[in-house]
Amino acid sequence: MDVKTSEQSGIKIVAVSGEVDLSTSPQVRDALLDCILGGSSVVVDLSQVAYIDSSGVASLVEAFQNAKSRGQGFALANVGETPLRVLQLARLDQVFVIHDAVDDAVSSMS
Amino acid sequence: MVSEQLDLLAQMGHDFAASHDIESTMSHALARIAHLVGAEGGALFLLDDDHAHLVCHASHGPVDILGLSIPADQGIVGRSVAGNVSEMVRDVSKDPSFQGSVDEQSGFTTKSILCAPMVVRGADDKPEHIGAIELVNKSDAEGLFADHDLKFLEVLAASAGLAIHNARMAGELAEKEVMRRELERAAEIQRGLLPPPGDADYPISGVNRPARVVSGDFYDHFTLYDGRIAFTLADVSGKGMNAALLMAKAASLFRCLGKEDLRPGRLLQHINAEVCETVMRGMFVTMVAGVYDPVTGRVVLANAGHEPPLLHKTDGEFVALEAASPPVGIPLELTGGGPVPEDVLYLDGGCLYIFTDGVTEGYITGKNELGTSGLQKMIEDGLQKNLSAADRIASVADLLNQRDEPLRDDLTLLVIDDGANAKGRKANAADRTADDLKPDKPLVGSICKLSVPARAQSLILVRRAVEASATLTGFSKEQTQDIVLAVDEACQNVVRHAYKGTLDGDMIVEVRRENGDYLILIRDFAPPLDKSVLKSRDLNDVRPGGLGIHFIHEIMDGVDYLPPPDGQGNLLRLKKSIP
Repeated sequence: MDVKTSEQSGIKIVAVSGEVDLSTSPQVRDALLDCILGGSSVVVDLSQVAYIDSSGVASLVEAFQNAKSRGQGFALANVGETPLRVLQLARLDQVFVIHDAVDDAVSSMS
Repeated sequence: MVSEQLDLLAQMGHDFAASHDIESTMSHALARIAHLVGAEGGALFLLDDDHAHLVCHASHGPVDILGLSIPADQGIVGRSVAGNVSEMVRDVSKDPSFQGSVDEQSGFTTKSILCAPMVVRGADDKPEHIGAIELVNKSDAEGLFADHDLKFLEVLAASAGLAIHNARMAGELAEKEVMRRELERAAEIQRGLLPPPGDADYPISGVNRPARVVSGDFYDHFTLYDGRIAFTLADVSGKGMNAALLMAKAASLFRCLGKEDLRPGRLLQHINAEVCETVMRGMFVTMVAGVYDPVTGRVVLANAGHEPPLLHKTDGEFVALEAASPPVGIPLELTGGGPVPEDVLYLDGGCLYIFTDGVTEGYITGKNELGTSGLQKMIEDGLQKNLSAADRIASVADLLNQRDEPLRDDLTLLVIDDGANAKGRKANAADRTADDLKPDKPLVGSICKLSVPARAQSLILVRRAVEASATLTGFSKEQTQDIVLAVDEACQNVVRHAYKGTLDGDMIVEVRRENGDYLILIRDFAPPLDKSVLKSRDLNDVRPGGLGIHFIHEIMDGVDYLPPPDGQGNLLRLKKSIP
């Protein structure tokens, strides 16, 4: 599992790769909350996520709620089949803002 | 007068024999003796345990000196006891041995003293000094005693001495009887530590005969949640109560830890560490522990310094399984304290005999030991006579136990008889072989079983095992991903809710294929789960957490908590129909 944070047009891009499970999800949570509490809008790139469990989904939800309450943007991009299935199971596919590509997400926010 | 004296003698003998309170009986006897002799006062002195002092145990007359202790070599009493002679001091003012201190304190004037020793003949014919009876001042005749008074006191003192001696012996006997009963009770509790005999078709039986009332040997066996049977047999160094207490500790540790750790080598390592913490220097336990699988006949065996168990194969060959590790209880700095090496063997219809050296070193006739060869012969004879395994080991114990003298050492035998289970295996195999040979024959029964520490880092291992087994079973890629997620979530609950993220316990995940169902059994050893924390939540309420249970129920066709095996831990069964 790896989390890389970059910036595009003033928006933080958090790219997650590998397997997000109980042992690795705290890293994802920390990276997302760092960006949001720093005042940035965030796009989470899930293209390289091979697995995500409920604790990983919980990290996304927590970040999403924090961004929303602070009036910052929060979107998911490049959601592969595997994470999408999990979001569907959690009925969260209708709650999150989901874009096909990171660029789309960035342009919709700026 | 004479009849009164005889009456007193008879009464005194009776009183001491009948009463449990020697002190009050002595006081009563002294009063009657003083009365009969016609003395103003008197005292009965007994030597203390180390014969250094004479202590007054009964006092009669105007001055109470009960409890007075004088050095055993002083005074008229001391002289009488030490010399085993009676003393008469007609006039104390003329005797240098007289100590006037009591008179000075009490204001009493001692004029004349009689003193007679109490002596009995001891076990080896040597005189055993008990004490003396002293009388002061004749009531009449100006307070002075006469010769016939002394003769009379001598007779009474000798009689009182014998009565006191007998009463003491009776007290010791009663104490021994109490000890004997305590020991009986300990033995009863110890017998309770041995397992009850199993049903007739149960493959393990044992026999234990203590050399004394309590035993330093033990054996145990119990069925694990998956049908395998854990067993042990051990011999604590020494016999008697200290060995019995260490035996109770080792036996309890086996029962307790044996349900948690199914690897006998590691189990013995843990028991060793526990025993080493508290064991008395120089005591140790030789111990065999193992697990027998009735389905396959496989035995995993660990031997810590114990007499080699014997495998008796169906072709008649005996194989001795030597210990590869020192006994339990040897200080860790000498042994390193690592796991005991394990042997894996298949009984294949044969029997495994585990026994203590009380068996092989037991005498059959004179000083002839049974020996390993004698034991093998007994086993073969038993088989020829068609004796059951339980009867075969009982016949060995009976042979060693038939002599009149006590056993040389505690003797204990345990046998695991794979015969009946092997027959069952063969019958099943005959049914199955043809089918099993087909290349597309699906996996049945247990597909894989994984034991991991219950922590987040273990989940990736569980996911890999489940992913591969689900794919092998024929689930699609998407179904497999779902199943992996459901099992992962269930295991997370074990880590986070059962063990509460704190205890470092184990988690066993078994994948099975049964009757068209793909089953995952998730077992932990934590306290029973509070099922209320494992509820699905309303998904419209968007918040982190609480999704795991929802995933599991959404994905699986069956989610059931089964009664925990042995009443220990939790067992969750997830079911998915195979497409």
